[in-house]
Amino acid sequence: MVLCLAAAVPARPQATSSSTPAAGSSKPAGTAAKKPTGTPARATAQLAAPVKSYGLSTAPIKMEVFTDYQCPSCRSLFEQALRPLIQSDYIAQGKVYLVHHDFPLPMHMYGYQAARWLNAAARVGQFSTVEAALYDNQNFWQVDGNIQKYIASSMPAADFKRIESQMAGCQYQAPGTKPASLTTAAQAPHCPLDAYIEQDRALGMKIPVQSTPTYVITYKGQKLPVGSGTMTWPILKQFFDSLLSQ
Amino acid sequence: MRVLGQILLWLTDHGYQLLLVGVVVVLLVRNPQSRRKVVRALLVLGGIIVGSVFLAAAYGKMKPPDGFPWSWASMRISLAWFAMQVDSYKLLAPSLVNAVAHFLPYFELFLGVWLITCIWQRFSAPIAALAICGFMIAITTAYFRGLKIDCGCGIGPPEEVGPAALLRDGLKFLLPAVLVTIGRYWLRRRSRADAALSAAPLISSTQATN
Repeated sequence: MVLCLAAAVPARPQATSSSTPAAGSSKPAGTAAKKPTGTPARATAQLAAPVKSYGLSTAPIKMEVFTDYQCPSCRSLFEQALRPLIQSDYIAQGKVYLVHHDFPLPMHMYGYQAARWLNAAARVGQFSTVEAALYDNQNFWQVDGNIQKYIASSMPAADFKRIESQMAGCQYQAPGTKPASLTTAAQAPHCPLDAYIEQDRALGMKIPVQSTPTYVITYKGQKLPVGSGTMTWPILKQFFDSLLSQ
Repeated sequence: MRVLGQILLWLTDHGYQLLLVGVVVVLLVRNPQSRRKVVRALLVLGGIIVGSVFLAAAYGKMKPPDGFPWSWASMRISLAWFAMQVDSYKLLAPSLVNAVAHFLPYFELFLGVWLITCIWQRFSAPIAALAICGFMIAITTAYFRGLKIDCGCGIGPPEEVGPAALLRDGLKFLLPAVLVTIGRYWLRRRSRADAALSAAPLISSTQATN
């Protein structure tokens, strides 16, 4: 089933990554891709892939992180390493290209739903805001699944409405109710966002990702060993510096 | 370098089996003199095996990542990568993480060479056993804290912290170190007992003369 979903997904165009704002531009990170010329607007809106990355795809260091938004270690990684990285000049100066991949785990009841919200937000250029909101409020929404409350409170109402419109057909569980089974909730057949999540999961299976967070760092096309667990920003920065000094 | 790494890995993988066979041989040998000879030979072998463990660990931590050439810059990358693995244990502050990450591989290199030379083995073997115990304690704490991380030992393919890693470390690394420690202690005791026995007739004849 997963393979079928992955095959049915239109290939994420490379233009999506390369259209990520250049260093120093005024656009916030995670802004949606520009419309390619000549493409019908409706088709573009339907096919707009979520942009879940920071920085330039041409950066010498590429860090791909596979996470589950309900995973405490993933939150720890985000708070101690990734948020400082995003706020540092390593991304703005085109040194590091940070890519997020969803890898919700079965034991996290609302992880898949959180990933749906994240992808919905990424389609309208609100990836960084929602990512931060999800991690910052993880302790709260993981109790009752009321994810939208914390996303809504992190942005203007108009922006939230745009994200909410992307969630049409995703049949998310109402807050406070337990899904009959995670598989059923995850495989909502009419949720277009699931395709992106399954695409990321399929990529993770190839590595293979055995736990979250897992990260893969590539330096000038050379893949380094797969890493897992958290680290702090000073240690990660030291590693980036050692690569860049090559 | 790659061949050396493979030899070290083979010794770390199978060394404990050789030592266990040697222990059986020691137990089967009746003649005390012969037994001592076998123990001495096993202590040399054990020193090489335990030394190989530490040399393999140091090699694994310091060798450049695949695709990178051997150079100081590449070794810095490897040590920085090891620092990330130490950091993932969430046991130390970042400043201490760096100190450990940059000290430990050189310490393992030194200890490995020391063990292989079999010089002052009565000190090097217990130090090795203690170092391995310390590492197993770190793995145990990480496991019970629910961390799903690479053990970071640098020997062989990456292994997640957990019972499998503990079993491997206990059997392949700690057991040889403990056997060498016990063997060295036993031999030293035997040598002292023999020295006391050989001095005893001299004392009794002296007393008889007086």
